[in-house]
Amino acid sequence: MSETAPTPALSPDDLEIVPGFEHEKLQGWMPDLGNEDELRGALEKAFDYRGDITITRKDGSQVEGYLFDRRLGRTLSDSLVRILPPNGPRVSIPYSDVAALSFSGRDSAAGKSWEAWVRKYWEKKAAGEAAAIEPEALD
Amino acid sequence: MFAVATYVLKQKLAGRKRYPLVLMLEPLFRCNLACAGCGKIQYPAHVLKRQLSPEECFQAVEECGVPTVAIPGGEPLMHPQIKEIVEGLVARKKYIYLCTNALLLEEKLDLFKPSKYLSFSIHVDGEREHHDFSVCREGGYDLAIQGIRAAIARGFRVTTNTTLFDGADPNSVRRFFDEMMELGVEDMMLSPGYSYDKAPDQSHFLGRARSRRLFRAILSNRKPGWRFNNSSLYNEFLMGKRQFACTPWGMPTYNVFGWQKPCYLLQDGYADTFAELLAETEWANYGTESGNPKCANCMVHSGYEASAVDYAFGSFRGMFEMVAGFLKRHEDRDALALLNEPAKPVHSYNPLVQIKEAESTQA
Repeated sequence: MSETAPTPALSPDDLEIVPGFEHEKLQGWMPDLGNEDELRGALEKAFDYRGDITITRKDGSQVEGYLFDRRLGRTLSDSLVRILPPNGPRVSIPYSDVAALSFSGRDSAAGKSWEAWVRKYWEKKAAGEAAAIEPEALD
Repeated sequence: MFAVATYVLKQKLAGRKRYPLVLMLEPLFRCNLACAGCGKIQYPAHVLKRQLSPEECFQAVEECGVPTVAIPGGEPLMHPQIKEIVEGLVARKKYIYLCTNALLLEEKLDLFKPSKYLSFSIHVDGEREHHDFSVCREGGYDLAIQGIRAAIARGFRVTTNTTLFDGADPNSVRRFFDEMMELGVEDMMLSPGYSYDKAPDQSHFLGRARSRRLFRAILSNRKPGWRFNNSSLYNEFLMGKRQFACTPWGMPTYNVFGWQKPCYLLQDGYADTFAELLAETEWANYGTESGNPKCANCMVHSGYEASAVDYAFGSFRGMFEMVAGFLKRHEDRDALALLNEPAKPVHSYNPLVQIKEAESTQA
């Protein structure tokens, strides 16, 4: 997320409204992983991403899937990501074995903001039609 | 109630500092609705196609040892083995809340047998127009009510669960309570909305101050016939009459990724076992009192209902306050005035604020 609710100046109990969030547009991004900070930062974004990613290991092999977990250690070799590929069991990859990262899959929530739904609702109502958002087909 | 009380007292006597109360078992993320505020369904198709097997569900229940299991999702009635999952949990004498939007309930009722252990917890977010708007499906309310009627007619236990978001009209919510009670719903659960990490983008959310005013307007001056599935102390927390710290381990979540850290709402990674979840999660980093901005506006039942129950069973005073709370009507003249205040929704073009005239100020 590019923005979460910032640390409030008021006590949370006194807040009338809290800021929402807007996700970065990461689909298709291939970050530079030149140093440890860049690698850790990019993998953290991959953990927050709502689509599949592809990791290229240092031996050239690739793993594509949904990055559902990351475990942060003090060094790159004791930190790891866990990925659920479309077919097959989950895969763990140490940070130290990551050569490249690509946000290869579609962001499953992109373009579906709450505000977009409210707008659609009004438009459908004005046209005298029933408003609905249908779940996407899975195949 | 007795089963939960016995369980909590056993945990207290055993000196357990952290114990779970309700397992949030998500056997799949797939859903037949696409609610715009939902953070549970934003996954690639291959994840949405996955589901827990009945054996994985039973293993999770055995691991954490809870007396009560809530089965949300996704839509659990879309799971092809939901019958086996429910039967297995009933055989283990677990109290089940099968949380469903009820679109499929009427056609799936034959899969189940009425039992004191099984309640359908129907997701209804208010009166017709409010619910349909909330779940992004016109006609959704009518199907849910049809499902409720059919389940009650067949002898099933039926409760409702209602999430209130920005723009909720307290007068409408109170009319909705009347409607559910007239339908024969056993009791109703309420919770404020929450900003999920992975939900579609949204610019603003209700803050705690506004949530408390909303719940004070709704739950004060209550009618004697209203029955809630929330504890009286959690309702008082929502109304701003009590403070609790979050108990994120109180309602742990298990799904196709494993045991979710730290709670039902936040996704900060996964543990492979319940013991690992308890031991490895940095609990001090979560809850409003931690200063974690992701927890700043949360007042959701999965963190705070467990706090209320723990408080109630922690002392005779807590127990007395909980029992006394069930008898209170919370008469409050200022709250009556709140019912007639124009709502000021965060989203300026939210069409659903005060659709109808405010109800009489007589409760």
